[in-house]
Amino acid sequence: MNNLNEIIHDFVAEGFQRGWKHIDASQIAADQTLEADVVIAGSGAGGGNAAEILAQAGLNVIIVEEGPLQTSRDFHMKEDEAYSKLYQESASRYTKDRGIKIFQGRMVGGGTGINWTTSFRTPASTLNFWTKEMGVKGFSEDEMRPWFEWVEKRYNIRSWIVAPNANNNALEKGCAKQGISWGKIRRNVMGCLNLGYCGTGCPVNAKQSTLVTTIPGALKGGATLISKARAETFELKNDKIEVMTCRSMTPLGNAPAKHSINIKARHYVLAAGGIGSPAILMRSENKILNPYGLVGKRTFLHPVNVSGAIMPYPVNGEYGAPQTSYSNHYIETRLDNKKSGFSLECPPLQPMLVATNLEGHGKVHAEIMRQRPFLQVLIALQRDGFHPESIGGSVYLKTDGTPGLDYKVSGYVWKGIRDAFLVMAEIQFAAGAKAVSPVHRDATLYYSLNKVKKAIETLPMEILKARLFSAHVMGGCSMGEDTTKSVVNSKGRHHEVENLSVFDGSVFPTSIAANPMESIFATTAKFATELAKNLVS
Amino acid sequence: MLTRRHLLQKSAISGITLLAFENCLASQLIPAAPEGLGHSFEFLTPYDRGILSKLTPVILAEALPKSTEESGQAIKEVIVGWDNAVSGLPTLTQKEIRKLFSVLDSNFIFSLTPRLLTGVPEAWNDPSEIEDFLYSWYISDPESLITGNELRIGYMGLVELTMAVWYGNPRSWDFCGYAGPPDLL
Ligand SMILES: Cc1cc2nc3c(=O)[nH]c(=O)nc-3n(C[C@H](O)[C@H](O)[C@H](O)COP(=O)(O)OP(=O)(O)OC[C@H]3O[C@@H](n4cnc5c(N)ncnc54)[C@H](O)[C@@H]3O)c2cc1C
Ligand code: SF4
Repeated sequence: MNNLNEIIHDFVAEGFQRGWKHIDASQIAADQTLEADVVIAGSGAGGGNAAEILAQAGLNVIIVEEGPLQTSRDFHMKEDEAYSKLYQESASRYTKDRGIKIFQGRMVGGGTGINWTTSFRTPASTLNFWTKEMGVKGFSEDEMRPWFEWVEKRYNIRSWIVAPNANNNALEKGCAKQGISWGKIRRNVMGCLNLGYCGTGCPVNAKQSTLVTTIPGALKGGATLISKARAETFELKNDKIEVMTCRSMTPLGNAPAKHSINIKARHYVLAAGGIGSPAILMRSENKILNPYGLVGKRTFLHPVNVSGAIMPYPVNGEYGAPQTSYSNHYIETRLDNKKSGFSLECPPLQPMLVATNLEGHGKVHAEIMRQRPFLQVLIALQRDGFHPESIGGSVYLKTDGTPGLDYKVSGYVWKGIRDAFLVMAEIQFAAGAKAVSPVHRDATLYYSLNKVKKAIETLPMEILKARLFSAHVMGGCSMGEDTTKSVVNSKGRHHEVENLSVFDGSVFPTSIAANPMESIFATTAKFATELAKNLVS
Repeated sequence: MLTRRHLLQKSAISGITLLAFENCLASQLIPAAPEGLGHSFEFLTPYDRGILSKLTPVILAEALPKSTEESGQAIKEVIVGWDNAVSGLPTLTQKEIRKLFSVLDSNFIFSLTPRLLTGVPEAWNDPSEIEDFLYSWYISDPESLITGNELRIGYMGLVELTMAVWYGNPRSWDFCGYAGPPDLL
């Protein structure tokens, strides 16, 4: 990797060498008290994006991030390294009943550092739902368009014209054969080598994560980054926040260490993501932060189920941009909410990700792993939060104050999951699969469409049997104008506490019904621009 | 005539002898912990290591190298990998895993959960018995009155971590047809 470092210019690491302000809190020797105009908890899509806007407006910004600062030279395309260092709970976070495995980033850059670069604007149907049903103001398609355009420029979101890898190609082929609409995904990359390792951190700085775009932008504007520090609570006086208390983390990053860092600011921005942001409010135990008990409620996941297929040709889904093709057919044809809608995509297929998310063990598991190069995988993401039954999950605090999520899959969404198993199997057989296996405890490999169809009709749709996943945590600090039904207003400002905002995916009142990153960028760009104006004037 | 007091005394004594007996049995039944490639273990006790050394071949099956020597080495690496992986998990998760191992140790001196309920093998030397036990955890249902979902969740923990550690290890890549990260040069 040394030679590589000479070729690939790690401009982020160099920036720090030149003097961008950074404190690695795992290395500090004493408690600290700091002051700023704005302190931001979390450096992911929302936090990184807002940091640049606020810093470039001339405000003195501090960013506090629980995860480590790692830059391109640290990204070796190795799964074992990446999941333990860069993911929340070493990529083994689960919902309370273990029904859904949750992937979230935990690093400078948050989810954008390890996500798959899929970029969608918020669907018009979602924006309309918020406006009509959730009391959100200023989020019409017309009002949002300039923000999407701005974001697409800032993060270089463009059409991806390189041919898809065989994994994504099968999705396209299968959908076309089935007469199901499909499309090409836009990506936030610049100079992408089509490697396929977005999930372990981009080794060539092609992915336009906040780590390589807006966080450097904020640092150039004089911001200070504190890594390996966890924001714990707010302390209030006269209904205003006086201080944000943080704790240093151990060098390994999995546990709190002994030093406290107290930060006083004019304004406090929560951007610790779904689960993370509600947790800070809940830990603070102050009624005014959560007067109606809504904090952490309505947390959505786009619950994902998975279908594996054995193709007659090598797929090698570990290589090539991981997600380039999608189908929204079952979103668009189910907008009336009579049935739960879902989108279809592909995941990357590096061995550790495949092996840990397959069912079973022993001979059967080994046999599928032996055939892994021929494996084609589809995932279906349910559009949760639009139906009265689909109320999402609630964040809770564990005995040590760390957060968890209690999410019960509704009967309504389970039906959508069963439908998705069938649709995925149909697409895979149409694309030429030899055999298909729904990732479900009671399923096996099925060598014909008829057989898999029959099986799917009777497979129990229950947690711990149908394996479910999520890489999209949204909601928990819903926005809206009704102060009794939402946590923040349509500008991301807390309804009750004047010097507090939430700028991340937790403000969404439903799921997005598309991969959320671009929605978070656009929403928080809008919020931060307005806040900067207020604070500067 | 035996008084109640005598009876109590007697049972106390047999309790002690039983414990001593179990102790001595335990030292025979516990699979020897493989030494750790010079690794100093943070989390796994010799007990845990012994159990993992027996579970790993059943979990990974054909995915382990064929020769005894290579598979022995692989198992050691899985165990070291386990220790590293668990050390990086949140403290509460570590506690859960500790609980899991104490259930697996239930044969032995820490009799926390009756073996009958958990199906933990009596002897860890018979792979088919280990497979039966793992399978019973695999298919255990939430409806099961006493354990609920716990065995199924325990199963997932054991299997997922073992898979993660093994398939994150380049030694496994040949088997699963993975050429490794692309060479950027
Ligand atoms: C593997 C994976 C692939 C994905 N692929 C895509 C994709 O292709 N397209 C897409 O649109 N979306 C994708 N997503 C989702 C997307 O990345 C997230 O929705 C997005 O990053 C969320 O932004 P956020 O600002 O809400 O939170 P995050 O980006 O998660 O940032 C929150 C940050 O806060 C930190 N934090 C948490 N608690 C604290 C605390 N108490 N104190 C300090 N810091 C804290 C976290 O460590 C984290 O870095 C993917 C996610 C994952 C995990
Ligand atoms: S596919 Fe492109 S963006 Fe993703 S890791 Fe590879 S080079 Fe980076």
